[in-house]
Amino acid sequence: MLASKPVWKPVFGPDLRDMPALSPTRVTPQGHGRLAAAIARATTAASWWREQTPVASRTAARGEPPYLLSVPDIGLACEVLLADRLFHDLGSAERDGLAGWIRATQQPSGAWHDAAGRPDPSRTALGWWALVESGDDPEAEHLVRARRIVHELGGAQRGSIEVRLWLAMAGHIPWAWLPTMPAELWLLPTVTWLSPSRVSPWARGVMTPYLLLSRAPARVHVSSAAPLLLHRPDGEPILPRLVQPGLLGDLLQAFDQGVKLIRKLPRGPVLGAALKRVQRWMIAAQQAHGGWFAAHPTLLSLIALRVLGANYDDPRIVRGLAYLRRARGLVSTPAGPQLAQGLLCAPLTTLARMVRLALAGDAASIAAGEAALPFLLGEEIRQIGEWQLRTNAPAGGWPCEAGADKYVDTLSTCAVLDALHALPRSSHHQSQARAAMRRAVEVLLAMQEPDGGFARFERGESEVFMTRFPLRDASLLAAGTPTDNARVRVSAAALRQLGRLGFQADDDRVARGIQWLWQRVTLDMAGFDLGTLGELALCSAALCPPTHPLRQTIERQLRGRQREDGSFGSVVDTAVAMHGLMALEGAVCIQTQRAARHLVQLLDSAPPELAQAALSERLGGEWTPGLGLTPVCHDPSAGVREAALALTVFAERGGQL
Amino acid sequence: MTTATAAATTPANRYDVVIIGAGLAGCAAAQALAHADPERRRKILLIDRHPGSSPRFAGEFIHPRGAQILADLGFYAALKAAGAVDVDGFTVLERADGRYVELAYDEVPGQRSQGLAVHHKTLVRVMRQVVRECPQVDLFEGWIIHELLHRGERVCGVVLTGPAGQQVTVHADLVVGADGKASQVRKLAGIPDQRQTVGFTVGLELRNASLPAPTWGNIILGAWGPVLVYPISRDTTSGSGGDLIYRVTLDLPANLPVKGARLAEFLLETFVPFLPHPLADQIADAILHHKGPFEMAPTVNLPAPTAVRPGLALIGDAGGCSHPITASGMTMGLRDAECLGEEARRRSDAPAHEAWLDDGSLRRYRAEHDRYVPTRQALADAIYEVFRGGNEGARAIQRALFDYWASGRSARARSMALLSCAEGRPGVFLSEYLKAARYAIESSLVARHAAHLPTRDRLRQVSGAMQLASNKLGLVAQVMWAQVRPTWLPHDRTFI
Repeated sequence: MLASKPVWKPVFGPDLRDMPALSPTRVTPQGHGRLAAAIARATTAASWWREQTPVASRTAARGEPPYLLSVPDIGLACEVLLADRLFHDLGSAERDGLAGWIRATQQPSGAWHDAAGRPDPSRTALGWWALVESGDDPEAEHLVRARRIVHELGGAQRGSIEVRLWLAMAGHIPWAWLPTMPAELWLLPTVTWLSPSRVSPWARGVMTPYLLLSRAPARVHVSSAAPLLLHRPDGEPILPRLVQPGLLGDLLQAFDQGVKLIRKLPRGPVLGAALKRVQRWMIAAQQAHGGWFAAHPTLLSLIALRVLGANYDDPRIVRGLAYLRRARGLVSTPAGPQLAQGLLCAPLTTLARMVRLALAGDAASIAAGEAALPFLLGEEIRQIGEWQLRTNAPAGGWPCEAGADKYVDTLSTCAVLDALHALPRSSHHQSQARAAMRRAVEVLLAMQEPDGGFARFERGESEVFMTRFPLRDASLLAAGTPTDNARVRVSAAALRQLGRLGFQADDDRVARGIQWLWQRVTLDMAGFDLGTLGELALCSAALCPPTHPLRQTIERQLRGRQREDGSFGSVVDTAVAMHGLMALEGAVCIQTQRAARHLVQLLDSAPPELAQAALSERLGGEWTPGLGLTPVCHDPSAGVREAALALTVFAERGGQL
Repeated sequence: MTTATAAATTPANRYDVVIIGAGLAGCAAAQALAHADPERRRKILLIDRHPGSSPRFAGEFIHPRGAQILADLGFYAALKAAGAVDVDGFTVLERADGRYVELAYDEVPGQRSQGLAVHHKTLVRVMRQVVRECPQVDLFEGWIIHELLHRGERVCGVVLTGPAGQQVTVHADLVVGADGKASQVRKLAGIPDQRQTVGFTVGLELRNASLPAPTWGNIILGAWGPVLVYPISRDTTSGSGGDLIYRVTLDLPANLPVKGARLAEFLLETFVPFLPHPLADQIADAILHHKGPFEMAPTVNLPAPTAVRPGLALIGDAGGCSHPITASGMTMGLRDAECLGEEARRRSDAPAHEAWLDDGSLRRYRAEHDRYVPTRQALADAIYEVFRGGNEGARAIQRALFDYWASGRSARARSMALLSCAEGRPGVFLSEYLKAARYAIESSLVARHAAHLPTRDRLRQVSGAMQLASNKLGLVAQVMWAQVRPTWLPHDRTFI
C-alpha cells in the first residue's frame, strides 16, 4: 500500500489544483436554497453512477458496458490483450477499446506512470507490448518513445514479476530468471510458516497458477517483445537480479540456483502429489462469480487451466472469461469513453456507499435505496471459506466484489453496515438487515489480529513469514505491512462499526483496538492521509469520550488540515473531514460550515449544462486501495457521491451556509 | 388492619416492630411476623413513602423458593388472581442464532416446579391489600422515616414524617429496614455500604412476545449486555387463555453513551440487531412506539452490609443486592422475611415486657442472612460478567457453560438449583465452579470455526479463562466460608 497520496494524474479525473481559486462565500439568505440545490445536483450525478451498477442494472439491460467504479492502471488491460492469444475471447470492439484506453493513458514522454507519478518500467513495457499485440507499428513514434523509456529504466527484464512472467511465457527470457518456488510447499500443513496458506489471499491466488505455469513451462505465442530487453555487448540479455541487494540476497540467489538444480533431480511421487495438490488448490479457489481473487489471479489461473489442457469451452474457463468481461467497463478519457479492464467486478464498498447516499435522500431516493437492499443483502457471504483459515467466526460479512463467496472484506463489510444503519426503521428489510449485521459483527471481531489491529481479508495477511526473505518480489506475498495506513483505516472502520453496534471500550477487544490505534497515531500521525484521519475521527467519536487523548489528537490534527478556502484537499477529503468533524463535535461547527461552503461553491461553479460524467470528473474521485500488483485504484464516482452525502448530513444536522 | 386503626390517620406511639418500606420484602416481613403471632398480641407498623406503589421499575421475577414463601404467607392466590404468571425456568440463548438451553425449575429436586412473575406495581398493590387484612399490621402510605431513635447503641424507635409534614415519634423493640437498595434506614443507622452503580436497566412492556418458551424467563446474549424477556401478567380480557404481557429488560452501561430522546435510537442500533427474529421486530416496534421517557432503574452492586444492629434489621435489597441477571433479589427478600418470621415464631410466647425479637433472634437472622446473600451475590456477579462476555475469560466461560449445560440434565439441574437459590451447600457450589473452569479450559482449546486457529489464540483464550477462574477464587472462598461459618463466631465489634 502507498504510504502517501498518489500523485499520478489520471485522465479519468481532474486535478483540483487546475481549478480556479474560489472566493470566500458569505452567509446569504439564499444559503439554504443554494445548499439544497448543491445537494440535488451532486445527488443526481451520484444517482447517474448508481445506474451504472448492478444495484440498478438498467445500463446492462441496454447491452452497453457500464462505467468502471474502480479504475486500475493499464497493467491488467495489457495482460488481457496479450492473453487473448490463448482464449480468442475479445471482440474487435473490446480489443480496440482496451487499446484505446492504453493509448489514452500514455504520457507525453512515452511512459506509463505508476500511482506515485513516476515512469513505471513494468507498465511501460506492458503498454508497449499490448499495443504492438493490438496491431500498432513498433516503429510508430509513441511506441519508440515507450521503448526508449523502458531501456532507460533498465530494460523489460527489470520489470515486475508479471512482466517477467510474460517474457518467460513468450520465450524471451529463460524461466530460470523468475523466482523459484518448490511445489512441495503446498504439501506443508497450513500451520507451518512456509505454507502458501500463510500468504495473503491475493498472493495465494497468483502463486498457485504461477507455480503450474513455471512447472509446465507455459509457452504463449504473442508478438515479440525482444526490442524491450537490454543486452550485453556480447548479445546476451542482462540477467535481472532476483533478490534484494546485500549478503543475504547473494546467499539466497545462490540458494535459488540450488533449488533450481534440485528441480532437475528426480523427486519421485512427492512432486507428483504436490503438483496435484496445487491443481486442486487452484481449481477449488474459483469463486461463484467465475473469477478467482480479483482479475490478476483470474487471468493467471485461466492461463494455467489452458496449460493443464482445459479447452476453450471448459466451464471453468468460460466462467472465468465471463468474470473478466464483467470486470471491464468504460472510463472517461479526453478521447471519449474507452473500455478498461477493472481489477474487481462491481466493488461492494462503492455500491454500499451509493446505497448509503440513496437512503439519506428524499422519499424517492430512499425507495431507490431500499430497492437496492436485496442486492446488498444477497451478496453476504453465507458459506465458510478460505478467509476462515485463521478466523474463528461463522459465515457472514461481505466480500470485496459482487458475486464473490470465498473471502470476506472488512472494508466492504463496514461500508455495507454503514448502509444498513441508514435503512429506515419501517423498512421491511429490517429483519434481514439485522440478522446480517449480527453475523457481520462476529466476522469483524474475528478479524482482529493479536496486536489489536484488524485484517482486511484474512488474519495474518500483513505479517507473512516469507516476506522476511530478501527476495525481490517478496513484499507481494503480504497485503501491506502490519503498520501501514491502510491497516489503520481498516481497523478504525471496523472499530467504528463495532461501536455503532454497542461495543464499548469496556470490551477487551475494543480496548485493544483503541490502544493499537493510539500507538499508530503517536508513531505515524504525520503520514496519515485525510481518509485515514477522517476514519479515525469517526471511530474515536464512536468509542472514546471527549477527553480521550486519541480523540483529542485526531480532532486537533483534522482541524489543522483545513485550508484557507475551507477545503481539506480534494472533494472526497473535504467530505470525509466534514463527516469526521460532525461526529466529533456532535453538531455542525464553523469549520464544517466552511467546508460545506467550499463544496457548494464547487458545485455552483460547474456549468449547469455539464453532463453527469463530466461533473463527476470535475469534482474528482478517490484513490482506493488495490490488490498486489495494482496497489491503488481510482473511484471516479467518489467526488459527487461523497460531496452529496456530506452535504446531506450537514443539512440534516441543521447546517446552513 | 383493625377497624379502629383503619380510621387512624397517624401511627400509634408504640409498636413491637416498625417496618420501613412496604414493598415486597416489607409486606412479606409484616405478613410473616403476623403469622408468627397467632394470638395477636403484637403490633406491627408498616410504612411506605409511596401511596399505591413505587413508581420506579423494579424486580418482578420470583424463583420457586420465593413463590413457596408467597404461598405460605397467603399472597400467592391473590397474585395469581391479579394476573401473575407461573414461570417454568430460564432459557438462555447464546446469540440470536446461537446455542439455546433450557434450565427448568422442575428438574431441580425438592422444590416447587414453578416460580412466579408479576408486574411490580401489581405485586406491591396486591401484597399491600393482603397485608391490610392482617389485624396486627398498621399500614401507612405516604410516610417517610425522618430519624432513628436510640437508647445507647440500641435503636428503639423512629421519627416519622407524614404526608402533611406532621412528625410522629414511634417507639418499637425492632426497626426493620425494607426500603430498598438506597435504604434511608441503613443511612440513618450509619451502616457503611459500598454501593456501586454498575449500569442501568431499561424496561419495556410487550404483548405476546414471540418466544420459544413463553412462560419462561428468556435470556438473550450477544448485545452489550444480556436481554431478559419474561411474562409479567396475563390479560384475561383479551380472549381465550389471555394474552401474555412481557417485560423486556435491556442492560445498559453505567456511562450511558446517549440520554433522553436519543436513547430509543441507541437501543434500536445496539440491542435489537442481536435479538432473534421475530422478537427483534416486536421489540423494535415497542421502542419506536414508546411515548415518553423509558422506564429505567440503576443496577446496583451492594455487597451485603451488616444486616443487623441492636434493635435494627435490614431485609431485602437494603441488606445487600446485586445485578438482577439471576432474578434472585426478590426471592432473597422473601427468604429474609421468612427468616424473620421463623425467629418471631420461635419467640411467639415471649412475655409482653420483653422484646419480641431479641438480640439472639437477630444474631440468628444475621447468621442465616449472611449464608445465602453472599452466595447469591457471588453467583449474580459471576453470571453477569460471563453473560456480558467483556473479556476473553468471560467469553471462554460463557462457551463452557453452554457446553456444560449441553452435557446433560443433571448439569442443568445443579446449575439451576444454585441460580434459583434452592441449593446452598458449599460442596455443590465448589464442584460447579470447578466444572465450569474445566469446561472453559477445554473449550478454549478448540477452534469453533477456524480451519486452523493459531496456538497463540488458543493459549490466549485458555489464559483468559484461567485468569478469570483464579480471580474468582477469593470470591469462592468467601462464599464457602459464609456457608460453613459457625453461628457463634462474632462477625465484628458492632455485632450485638
